[in-house]
Amino acid sequence: MRAKESLIEDHKKSVPAVASSPQKATSVVGVSKRFGKTSVLENISFDVAEGEALVLLGASGSGKTTILRIIAGLEQPYTGKVVLHGRDVTELPARERGVGVIFQSYALFPKMTVEKNIGYGLRIRKRKRKEIRETVNELLSLVQLEEHRKKYPSQLSGGQQQRVAIARTLAYNPEVLLFDEPFGALDTQTRTHLRREIRALLRKVNVPAIFITHDQEEALELGDRVAVINQGHIEQIGTPFEIYNRPATEYVATFLGAANLVDGVLRNNFIEVGTAHLPVQLDQEKFKSGDCVKIVFRPEDASLGKTDFVRPGTHKIGTAIVEELSFVGAYERVRLQLEKGGGEDCALDDTSYFLTTETPERRKTKSIIATRPKLEASTTKLHIGDRVVVAITSFTVLPLNGNK
Amino acid sequence: MRHVRGFDVVRPLSIGMLVFMMLPLVFLPLLSIFIFGTSNGLDKFWAALSAPEAVFALKLSMATSFWATVFNVLFGLFASYVLSRYTFWGRNALIVTISLPTAIPTAVAGFALLLLWGPYGTLGRFLAPQGIQVMFTAAAIILANIFVTFPLAFGVIKPVFDTMNRSLEEASATIGATRWQTFWYVTLPSLRGAIVSGALLTFARAVGEFGSTILVSGNLAGHTQTAPLYIFAKFNEGQIEAANAIAIVLALFSFLIFSVLFFARDWLDVD
Repeated sequence: MRAKESLIEDHKKSVPAVASSPQKATSVVGVSKRFGKTSVLENISFDVAEGEALVLLGASGSGKTTILRIIAGLEQPYTGKVVLHGRDVTELPARERGVGVIFQSYALFPKMTVEKNIGYGLRIRKRKRKEIRETVNELLSLVQLEEHRKKYPSQLSGGQQQRVAIARTLAYNPEVLLFDEPFGALDTQTRTHLRREIRALLRKVNVPAIFITHDQEEALELGDRVAVINQGHIEQIGTPFEIYNRPATEYVATFLGAANLVDGVLRNNFIEVGTAHLPVQLDQEKFKSGDCVKIVFRPEDASLGKTDFVRPGTHKIGTAIVEELSFVGAYERVRLQLEKGGGEDCALDDTSYFLTTETPERRKTKSIIATRPKLEASTTKLHIGDRVVVAITSFTVLPLNGNK
Repeated sequence: MRHVRGFDVVRPLSIGMLVFMMLPLVFLPLLSIFIFGTSNGLDKFWAALSAPEAVFALKLSMATSFWATVFNVLFGLFASYVLSRYTFWGRNALIVTISLPTAIPTAVAGFALLLLWGPYGTLGRFLAPQGIQVMFTAAAIILANIFVTFPLAFGVIKPVFDTMNRSLEEASATIGATRWQTFWYVTLPSLRGAIVSGALLTFARAVGEFGSTILVSGNLAGHTQTAPLYIFAKFNEGQIEAANAIAIVLALFSFLIFSVLFFARDWLDVD
């Protein structure tokens, strides 16, 4: 306890005044958090711009909920600070922060009607009745719940409850909206529908928002930017396109959907994968010739051909044997063994199950997954055991050992 | 034999058996109060009921039970809040201590109070020279009622506190409410049902308290005699009708309270 207090004291001395640029609606600066001796957050920093939606994406236990609770003031950081529109609120209790939290279970007050719930923020601020009534009416029409105004939360559907929860926070003009796993309790169809609804609503009210989710699809669709959280630190922060197509770490690559990882050796302006050569332009500071690297590509970025001719814009990485074919709705999923033969073998695959289940000869191959759109799948039929040429369109290069 | 032409024999048999077993144990004793009490005509019943000492006994019972209830509900709320919100060393010991009075014989409770507050008691011996006499007054009856009904309201309110969704209070805080506003607007309404049933239970139990009251009150007719003591006194004097009239009132009263408890539950917990 004493250590914590003194840290906060030091912190205050070293940062006398907050001078954030005005577009930053919310800033989290160097926040870390410990529960007892276990560290749950390490040096988390990010900004949310005015009107922006940021998604914190992570597995359960990654610490994403703790970040949200620290911004809301329901949890105290160990070090670091929270800044809302240029105001350092780290020391303020939750009630003085003016943050809107939409809890996972919505946390609507069960003994209050929809309009009482929405008007609660103004009522405790002792606003005039007329003002409360007008604001509540406006918000009811904004979230399209006018005909439900006299109902109790238990009489509403999950989606309606969520809209009440949002309206309840909008009533007091929150600095930022925080959504804790907003669609966790809903079925897939309602989820997709509500996601779009909330995006539209946020654009209308222009309040910055931070979402928390473990669902990668949700994160890509909801966020203007996505921060991938793993074990208490940010792995990568960027637009959905960047996160998905240019993952900075192996964790990000594999957490956001299926990814294939293939070893290669870096040469001056190409990567050697077995006997194939992939042309690349790389950051000279991070990589040097002779380095072992991992090539990451998505299943849909692989194209399979029966001849050695590869489509323009794609690069051959080798031949593979078709091992399994399955239909997954709109596309065909193909599992292949990529033959690595020849070239300098950079590193043995360190995955343990490989060592136990694969014979030494098979270790020269690497299991990869490709998907093909339905049209292609039905025109060029593949069969198990076929030998195909694998070419990839886009890919990311990661250093072989470690992420940092 | 279980089914006679598709008719389940066990069902009516077991229901009949249940009612039959309850007859001598519960129904008949209760019934006899009413049969006996009204057998000499309603005039006599009414006369017995409106005797000054009888009226006083009923009023005293109601008043002392009321104040004991008010105290125990407020205390139960406070204790539940503290004991379900915070974990601290000795917390379980406190919970056990609060619940203990249920297990203590009421005569022991009354005796214990005498030993504390009586003229020669641990505290009483310092108060007596100041002219403060706690025992053998209405205050003593309230103290006894508080002691024996101590865990009742707490026992009903605490589980509701424990299962209450904490995010409701957190939501209220993020919306901008102070702790007091949160308690008043969010926590308390969710406890409404528990508070009412806790209060009714406490009150019903206090009105009927006999064992501790007879020790601490002094049982002085027209001064410190509660309704159950009145029944006992009149019965000893052989005035069965007088005792019976009050017995009927107390029995009806408990019927009323338990019907309210039973039927109002749904209404109180309505969302």
